[in-house]
Amino acid sequence: MRAKWLRAACLSVVVAACGNGEAIFNIDVYSFIKGTAQDTIPYFVLSGSLDTSSAPQLIRLLGAGSSVVDSVLIAGTDTVQSQSGSGTIAFKLYLAADSAGTRLPSARALSVPAGTVGSAADTISCPPRPASCLLFSSANPLFAKDSVWARIAVTASNTGATPFAGKIVITSLVLSVFINDKIF
Amino acid sequence: MRTSVIGVWVLALTVGWAARLSCQGLVFDARRIGMGGLTLGRSGNLVRYNAAYRAVPPGEDRRGQPKATIPIPLGVIQFLHDHPNLGSDPEFKPGSPGFNPVLAVNTILNLPLYYEIKKAPTPTNNVVFGIGKDSLRVNLGASAQLVPEDQFGISGSSRPLDPGFGIKGVRVSVMGWLHDDVELQLDDNLLGFLADSQSARHDSTYRVFVHGIVQGGFAPTVAYAGRIVGDGSSGLYVGGALHYYLGVAYFRTDGTGGDSIGNPIFANPVNATAQTITQYSRAGNSFGHGVGGDVGVAWISGPIEVGLGVNDIGATITWPDTRTDTAFYTNATGGYSKPGPNHVQTTTKLPVSYIANLGYTVGNTTLGMDVLNTGRGATVHMGGEQRISIWALRGGVARDERKRVEFGWGGGVRLGPLGLDVGFWTHTNSLSNERAVTMATSVSIY
Repeated sequence: MRAKWLRAACLSVVVAACGNGEAIFNIDVYSFIKGTAQDTIPYFVLSGSLDTSSAPQLIRLLGAGSSVVDSVLIAGTDTVQSQSGSGTIAFKLYLAADSAGTRLPSARALSVPAGTVGSAADTISCPPRPASCLLFSSANPLFAKDSVWARIAVTASNTGATPFAGKIVITSLVLSVFINDKIF
Repeated sequence: MRTSVIGVWVLALTVGWAARLSCQGLVFDARRIGMGGLTLGRSGNLVRYNAAYRAVPPGEDRRGQPKATIPIPLGVIQFLHDHPNLGSDPEFKPGSPGFNPVLAVNTILNLPLYYEIKKAPTPTNNVVFGIGKDSLRVNLGASAQLVPEDQFGISGSSRPLDPGFGIKGVRVSVMGWLHDDVELQLDDNLLGFLADSQSARHDSTYRVFVHGIVQGGFAPTVAYAGRIVGDGSSGLYVGGALHYYLGVAYFRTDGTGGDSIGNPIFANPVNATAQTITQYSRAGNSFGHGVGGDVGVAWISGPIEVGLGVNDIGATITWPDTRTDTAFYTNATGGYSKPGPNHVQTTTKLPVSYIANLGYTVGNTTLGMDVLNTGRGATVHMGGEQRISIWALRGGVARDERKRVEFGWGGGVRLGPLGLDVGFWTHTNSLSNERAVTMATSVSIY
């Protein structure tokens, strides 16, 4: 639970200041997982495909009361280390109000299509957006609360003859929550 | 729930900004609105704040002043049109998801008597919050200028009743008096966080300083007002009043409220802290008592009229039967109150208020200005009226307590004993620095 005064102060400033503008909460998710095991997702696929994921991570929010979250964007980058073989990687993001909820299929908030893994840093991208993805609207209400649990799942598919292995290291991850209440 | 989300802060900001407008006093006279709020003759604030004006006869008042003014509250019609089901309107219904405390507070503090010609736009810039594991920052953009850097609040000093009798300029009366003052001020940390987009810092406290007082009572008064030099058309008028203030009750609180941020910033869930020292003397306790006075002078010579009045000079009230309590709140302990000394003597003061006015009338032209300070900063009004046959044209300019310049203009028509006046007035609301324009209408009886 967050400091209530903080929530009240910040949200009231939004109320007092936004008018027809929007309140944008840029949440640096990476700062919550940096240096922990949650920022790294290893994979090893002999053949076919494999689903793997990070441990659920609690992300603190300010809480938005009964305000309506219009949309949530996610932007991030990752690098692949210890790469061997060839294949594709697809991302999925699961969000829920509790840790266990992130294991449910209905908690899926984002699917990034499979892409070929290279040695260069990858940018999370969901066409037509160049450098970000729009989360499913079903996840929006979660961002009105004071915390949300997140789990990143990866589907690694081996497209070569040798084992496809490596680890994905997230290097930046930012959620942008857009709130646009008609207060006045 | 939105009510809790908006909470204290929005009320503080809204009340703070809106109240500065309302505390200038409600003006019902469209003539006065049209002249930028200028007080002329024996109208408005002159009699209230200048003890000499009680002696200035109506005959000296050649400013086209009506005997009575009846406002036509077109703004109420507009308001009811916009909110036809006020009782069930979710914007005014606490607890409703659509409850809008900003609108509710603004409606109370700025009664919708005037017709809104042009509403002030609300800010439309985005507000960006940056949240990390151990960082918090807010960028209000252009709206940061709305964060009050100075002390803000509501205050008023009124004399609701003054029954009495007078003989030859001497008047004996019993005057009711009431003084209220609520002041809030953000501390440097909170101000930097909100206005300057500074990141929240470890082990720092973000607070609001609070001061509030309300006191009231009555005052047996002996006053004198009379002309000491001159004749019927010109003269020097002086006035004075001596009050023996008897305080019936008062309540005063001073303190701080806010939050203490730990290290890391989000490590401790809630560190809300508040502490106040409260002093009060209930009705039924021994009366407070004190002595104060008013003085005033008005000089009328031909087309020129000059006046100066000062009120509540030296008005210090001594309360012999006061109780002092200290209240604390921390997240760990919750709220509790610690009784302090009882039946002790404390003192309060009434703010000294003053008004200075200058009027110039030649032919059908009247020009004037006044400066009024009721204890929370001076307001300045300058304006004039040109009467042409049955018509009148008016204009004026004012500087409010926020040192913002506002404009007034208008006109009127007089048909025998009746007149119809319309006045336009610019004003700024709580949420924008752009001016809005309102229209006041009134019927005058001459």
